[in-house]
Amino acid sequence: MASLVGRRLIALVAVMFGLVVIVFALQAVIPSDPVRAMVGASASPAVVAQERHKLGYDKPLPERFVDYLDRLAHGNLETSLRTRNPVTQDLGTFAPATLELALSAAALAAALGVGLGLLLVGGGRPARLLRLGLIGGASVPTFLTALLAILVFYSTFHLLPASGRVSDTLVVPDGPTKLLLVDSLLHGEPNLFWSAFTHLIMPAFTLALLPALAIARTLATSCEQIMREDYVRTARSKGLRERRVLVRHALRNAAGPALTMSGLQFGLLLGGIVVVEQIFAWPGLGLYLDQSIAYSDFPAITGTTLLLGAAYVIVNFLVDLAQAWADPRIRTV
Amino acid sequence: MKLSRASLAPICLVAGAFALAGCGAASTTSSGPSTSGASGGSSASSQILRIPYLADMSVPDPDIFYDIEGNSVILSSYDGLVTYAPGSTRIIPDLATSWTISPDRLTYTFHLRAGVHFHDGTVMTSASVKRSFERRLAVNQAPSYMLKPVASMATPNPLTFVVHLKSPVNPFIDYMASSWGPKVIGPAALVTHAGSDHAETWLATHDDGTGPYELTSFARGRQYVLTRSTDYWGAQPYFKQVLIKITPDIGTQQLELQNGDVDAIMHSFPASELNQLPSNVHVEEFPSFLRLLLYVNTNKPPFNNPAVRASLRSDVNIPQLVAEAYSGTATPSTGAYPEAILPNQPKLPYAPNPKLATAGAKAASTKSITLAYTADESGVQRRVGELIQADLEQAGWKVTVKEVQLPQVYGYINNLKTAPDLMLQTNTPDASHPDTWARILFDSTGGLNFLGFKDAAVDNLLNQALSAPPAKATSLYQQVGQDVVNSNEIFFLGDVKNVFVLNKNLTGVEQVPAYPWTVTLADLKRVGG
Repeated sequence: MASLVGRRLIALVAVMFGLVVIVFALQAVIPSDPVRAMVGASASPAVVAQERHKLGYDKPLPERFVDYLDRLAHGNLETSLRTRNPVTQDLGTFAPATLELALSAAALAAALGVGLGLLLVGGGRPARLLRLGLIGGASVPTFLTALLAILVFYSTFHLLPASGRVSDTLVVPDGPTKLLLVDSLLHGEPNLFWSAFTHLIMPAFTLALLPALAIARTLATSCEQIMREDYVRTARSKGLRERRVLVRHALRNAAGPALTMSGLQFGLLLGGIVVVEQIFAWPGLGLYLDQSIAYSDFPAITGTTLLLGAAYVIVNFLVDLAQAWADPRIRTV
Repeated sequence: MKLSRASLAPICLVAGAFALAGCGAASTTSSGPSTSGASGGSSASSQILRIPYLADMSVPDPDIFYDIEGNSVILSSYDGLVTYAPGSTRIIPDLATSWTISPDRLTYTFHLRAGVHFHDGTVMTSASVKRSFERRLAVNQAPSYMLKPVASMATPNPLTFVVHLKSPVNPFIDYMASSWGPKVIGPAALVTHAGSDHAETWLATHDDGTGPYELTSFARGRQYVLTRSTDYWGAQPYFKQVLIKITPDIGTQQLELQNGDVDAIMHSFPASELNQLPSNVHVEEFPSFLRLLLYVNTNKPPFNNPAVRASLRSDVNIPQLVAEAYSGTATPSTGAYPEAILPNQPKLPYAPNPKLATAGAKAASTKSITLAYTADESGVQRRVGELIQADLEQAGWKVTVKEVQLPQVYGYINNLKTAPDLMLQTNTPDASHPDTWARILFDSTGGLNFLGFKDAAVDNLLNQALSAPPAKATSLYQQVGQDVVNSNEIFFLGDVKNVFVLNKNLTGVEQVPAYPWTVTLADLKRVGG
């Protein structure tokens, strides 16, 4: 287990370093002048030069890269060119919304994935129809799901709000967790909880849909293979009912591939966050990243990329741990 | 089916893994203070105005802010010395009730309004104005250029503020009226929150102006709240609060407007959908100084050849292009400057002529060209790009259309050989004065001179015009315009209107052409509310 943790920590550092390299390489490849964009059209050349010097943009890219790594090692992600805040401060502002959305979507994806996966294993015509439905669902891009959800649940039936994290007239508490579902309960504010919950439903569902379908199909395939194993035949021969055999004997052993898929799907989920936050005006990292890209705000882009990359590595590490729990043979590898 | 506790374990495991996944993400982000704050009132009411922004404004600090999105926040919370009358370029009093300009045009004396309070309750005096002007110069960001010609400032009494210029500057009074012009900030707040950065940190989330609204919450990425000031010197606004919500998708904004969850969309409404609006909204259109330009890259073939460049005049049917792309929300440009800021300009010599257009393409050393346009949410620039592409290809060009971001556009000047051959961009001047248009576009060092237009004679004329007697200056600006038109390096395609789509019950829309995408929030009312 210690070596697994060690390997993952090394992977985390390597991934972070790789991401920094990629974002810096992009700065070199994409011809842009974020400093000019920041100070504006009428700024005198002297003002532009002064700002360029202040931000260190007048140095050669390799030198800036080394400076950035040095600052990164001290937890300094530089200052956003757009918001003019330290990037760490901006991430602190935007990350809780994304965390709440990602957590909810992940939980929803897991629940939906396992539920649908078990239904698929049942076999027969309903399972075949469901499988067809899943294939169809998996082919719908996230932005289309989001638009359809807004049209149906907001515009047509007026059941759910279309945008934002909470109703605009409610007072949002500043902590302690900055997860509105949690904070509203901690502050004893059911109205705020309900508002946050209803605002969360559509974006979380939209984000969860594709990962859920992938998990369901992987789990079903894995279960079907396991159900052909000798020990399952033995269990059946003891007279156990099929559902009990599936849940009691097959599911844990079939969980490995589904867990791997869950880890991979988390990456997909993070990728979908930009689109989902854009459409639902969800004030999270996706929205921050999108606005930063339009501004060539490289410190903000790099900071957000590093954070999301770290999250991806950590999630996959946790998935590895879960797999080791599910299948003790892995622990010895 | 009833599942036993043991059989639930794998399900919980997967769910738990996901839940922990989120925690992993959180653990690296929990540091750093948050700016999320409270929003305004406790219940919705007819006296709350809701408008969306497509993107966050940079900062609500009037000495740094230099974007368009966010103008309504600045203009609602701060006042300048003068402003523009609605629908015109006429300068009218704001914090200054009157002003005089010395015969040598070097001394501006502003007589200030009495009884004006900042949002923190302190009284506005000439010392406050002086302190604000000094801060703008000290902060030294983009809008500071408007005060660079100032030699000295004086406050002979609490209600008189005098500015001495180093040399005459024709647009100086227009600078004072610009939406990005100097605003007056409470000196007490500037001292209390000075920090080490002239209160930049504090003013990034607060205001202390004298405007009709106070910025009471600035939750970046989510919502800004403007609350009606209790002792505003002017007429009391109708709306108690203005909630400005960041909604980056124009489709979502449209649906929210249709459902009554927002009151107005201030820009980027798709023009093609304006004639299919639901019955609960209406459109108001106002002239603006927003102009669609086609930049030509003369630093490489084929458009380094003046004859080939000249043939572009014959390639595009501009009235048809503007009508088709803007659906009536723009008109073909009539001159190098917006007509309202420089009248009597010679007619633009653009007219479709297939023969000349084909000849131009034939004479080109390469027929493969790139046409770039900057991304806009309404999609109108993409549409214009596609229409120009079709016209050019009919003449024999092979055109690749590509979308670019604004910072990329700013970067072109550093390597013009790799910049696109043609580029579409919509720009607006800082104020209602020809200098504020010509200097950023036509001067060789102009900030919006993206593809390196360079003409020493134009630079010289502009320098003369800045200080010349007004009548002479007008003729110099006209000469500059004519030179630019003759160069065929910048084409003036369309004058774009400000289009506001509003709830039917919203009235009192007042607009200044020099303030793009902005209405005077304090003048808005809800009928039947």
